[in-house]
Amino acid sequence: MLFNSLTFVVFFVVVVAAYWSISSWNARKNLLVVASYIFYGAWNPPFAALLFSTTAMDFWLGRQMSRAKGHHTRRAWLVASVCMNLSMLGFFKYGNFLLQNFQWLLARIGIIYRPPHLDILLPVGISFYTFHSLSYTLDIYRDVLKPTKSLRDFVLAVSFFPQLVAGPIVRAGDFLPQLVRPQPLREGQFLWGLLLMTLGLFEKVVLADTMLSGSADRIFSYAGPLIALDSWLGVMAFAGQIFFDFAGYSTCAIGAALCLGFHLKDNFRFPYAAIGFSDFWRRWHISLSTFLRDYLYIPLGGNQVRPVRAGTNLVIVMFLGGLWHGAAWTFVVWGLLHGSYLVVERVARGLFEHKEWANTVATRLLAWFATYAAVCIAWVFFRASDFTVAARMLGGMFGGHPHGDAILTTREMLQIALVTGGMILVHWSLRDTNIETAVMRAPPWIVTTAWAFMACAIILTQGNSNAFIYFQF
Amino acid sequence: MRSSTSNFKRKLRLPRLFFRKPPEIESIHGGPPLEYVRPIPQLPWRGITVAVVLIVIAAASAWELYCRSIGYGPTLHDNEDLWTSARRRVKPESIVIIGDSRGWYDLDLDELQKGLGKRPVQLAMAGSCAYPVLADLANDKNFHGIVICSVVPRLFIAPPGSPPMDHAEKAVRRCHTQTLAQRASQYLDMPLEEHVAFLKPEELTLDGLLKRLPIPNRPYALISPRLPPYFGTLDRERRARMIEKCARPGSELARMTQQIWLPLFTPPPPPSYIPQEEFAKSMGQAIEQRFHDVVAAVQKLRSRGGKIVFVRLPNSGGLKALEDRQTPRAAVWDRVIKDTAAPGIYYEDSPDLAGFNCPEWSHLSAGDSVEFSKRLIPHLRAALQM
Repeated sequence: MLFNSLTFVVFFVVVVAAYWSISSWNARKNLLVVASYIFYGAWNPPFAALLFSTTAMDFWLGRQMSRAKGHHTRRAWLVASVCMNLSMLGFFKYGNFLLQNFQWLLARIGIIYRPPHLDILLPVGISFYTFHSLSYTLDIYRDVLKPTKSLRDFVLAVSFFPQLVAGPIVRAGDFLPQLVRPQPLREGQFLWGLLLMTLGLFEKVVLADTMLSGSADRIFSYAGPLIALDSWLGVMAFAGQIFFDFAGYSTCAIGAALCLGFHLKDNFRFPYAAIGFSDFWRRWHISLSTFLRDYLYIPLGGNQVRPVRAGTNLVIVMFLGGLWHGAAWTFVVWGLLHGSYLVVERVARGLFEHKEWANTVATRLLAWFATYAAVCIAWVFFRASDFTVAARMLGGMFGGHPHGDAILTTREMLQIALVTGGMILVHWSLRDTNIETAVMRAPPWIVTTAWAFMACAIILTQGNSNAFIYFQF
Repeated sequence: MRSSTSNFKRKLRLPRLFFRKPPEIESIHGGPPLEYVRPIPQLPWRGITVAVVLIVIAAASAWELYCRSIGYGPTLHDNEDLWTSARRRVKPESIVIIGDSRGWYDLDLDELQKGLGKRPVQLAMAGSCAYPVLADLANDKNFHGIVICSVVPRLFIAPPGSPPMDHAEKAVRRCHTQTLAQRASQYLDMPLEEHVAFLKPEELTLDGLLKRLPIPNRPYALISPRLPPYFGTLDRERRARMIEKCARPGSELARMTQQIWLPLFTPPPPPSYIPQEEFAKSMGQAIEQRFHDVVAAVQKLRSRGGKIVFVRLPNSGGLKALEDRQTPRAAVWDRVIKDTAAPGIYYEDSPDLAGFNCPEWSHLSAGDSVEFSKRLIPHLRAALQM
């Protein structure tokens, strides 16, 4: 069920109405579990069984872990949980990818092996709910979370429908405490939630799908050489599209959760105003970057080890972050590029941080521009279907096709410039604050006008839009 | 001033709370206490919401009235979900219409039901190639009914990856992968589409309106030809009817639509990055492959007792001249009939079918489609040996 569909509107109205008309807290939670499984099962009912089985396994493993006396036994239960979750993810998401690469490796040593093509249907959102569930056993192992006694609560924490299929990755430790007792709705919370849902939908259906996706698709699917202007505009269009698509989903999820009395953390903080790559990753897909930081980077030693080791850790983490996004080497290259950006930044900071010129406005602006450009270059690998397309795009961007084609219309170029310029302006003006503060400072008539404008624009798109990009992850 | 590096280190360090063992009171679930509560901006939300609802209702109503005043009316969208609902109605012995929009507009289901004894299922799609649907029916082991296939040569031989093929393939794919949510959305969307005139996905969306802005382009910008405006309605059976405003000979809408068909039916120039001979060769191979695939699909269908008849439906004016010039009868129609050895009805071959005029050069008016279907029935019965 897509947020940008009439089915979801009806579903949400029914769930919210039923939820607030029930007084029993347990009945409300039962309702949310049923609603979440209907939401998920509406894609493919058998996958709801898969979701429940992984959740129930982690619930059981968490209990076993907390009852275990010795450190080794606890670790064994953790290993069981990690293996169970990652093997499930591996089978559904990486099965064919691993077989293809195995075939390629054998071919290198002269062995011809033709693996059967596994006709595996990827369960929507498996990467997200696997991480929701995994965070539970990881936190129990780290002794910062006691297992919940209620399977129902844990099932709800993993499957809560606003964040189930495309994030944010909400850790069980952040959500379970909210299930202890009913959260009263604060003044304005419900309507603020609705406004956030409108904002999220506006980002998705108007800015991502209407204003940018057509140009990005045309540029990335064009089989011929393109001139630099069109190549860069296509990549900038995709940079904007993926932000509005994913941030739009997260904003909808946060708004929907607020309407039901739950509080989810921000997943984006104006990332295109980032100065430097560590700053970018503190602003982009925060729930994933903090997940990788806490459960992978820090256990590897974090930045408390020798610089070379810390740099290697960064690259390993970003390599896995890239692979998490999809079973293709282009995603791996995207991750490795970001890993290498982070390493270069660490080195540069070590060398130049204390220089006077390093903190001037001009340097900061230059650093912002370099960050944005480098992030765009990395997006080429994220969006390209294969390395041929990526090479062609990069060739165009760096002047390799001076006599290439110029295919974008003036309207498309204006749309990209307008939306990208507006996006960067908003990100810069809000980079050190948050949306709530900005709205609080605005006069009510501006909030009214902006909300009405967004709602009218959504209606004008007539639901003529695509699935969220992150559903495929 | 705190440096960025130290800030980075500080951020990377976990908060103390993370390592602190929660006291018993916080440990019902054991985790850190609820530490995060989103801020809620303090504004007069009720007043704001009421104002927003009123503005949105007023704007939507004004837009609806304006769209109706310039000739738009409510109609269902021809999307893949509506097509899927029709595909699901196909029974093993059904009569099925496939092909392009001429199969939609020109064939009247009531008349065909009277003449053939069964109500056909309408699976033709605007601007699409018939082959993916033909292949889908041929691969459906339960189906052994009758297929009436409309042939517009340019669409029939459209190469893989082209919009006519994509359109049809998307619908067939949706039929096999439709989720419960998509099905529910279709049922919820239909009543809205049947009552709201501004719901026109190709024309009156934000994207459609932006595309019509009169902005000059660079000389070599790739511009998709404009699609025809709203000139017909569609019902839940996927029956299409030309609206009166277009059916009037010489009407402004008819004349405008005529001029839109011409660029749409003109093949785009070959891509600049492929040598012309190579491109022509690959197109030739794709067309040959299509003939081969169609023959295979027809044989498969017949092997189960199914029947197929190809029909060439009327066109007029400048569009007829363009089609005859670019896709001459011998090149596509005759080849299809010869290779498949299936019966074919070419409207120009029969005087009783040849005298119809298409107001916008491509489709019959609602009234003419009834008369044309009546006259077509004896030909169909003969071709299908009924």
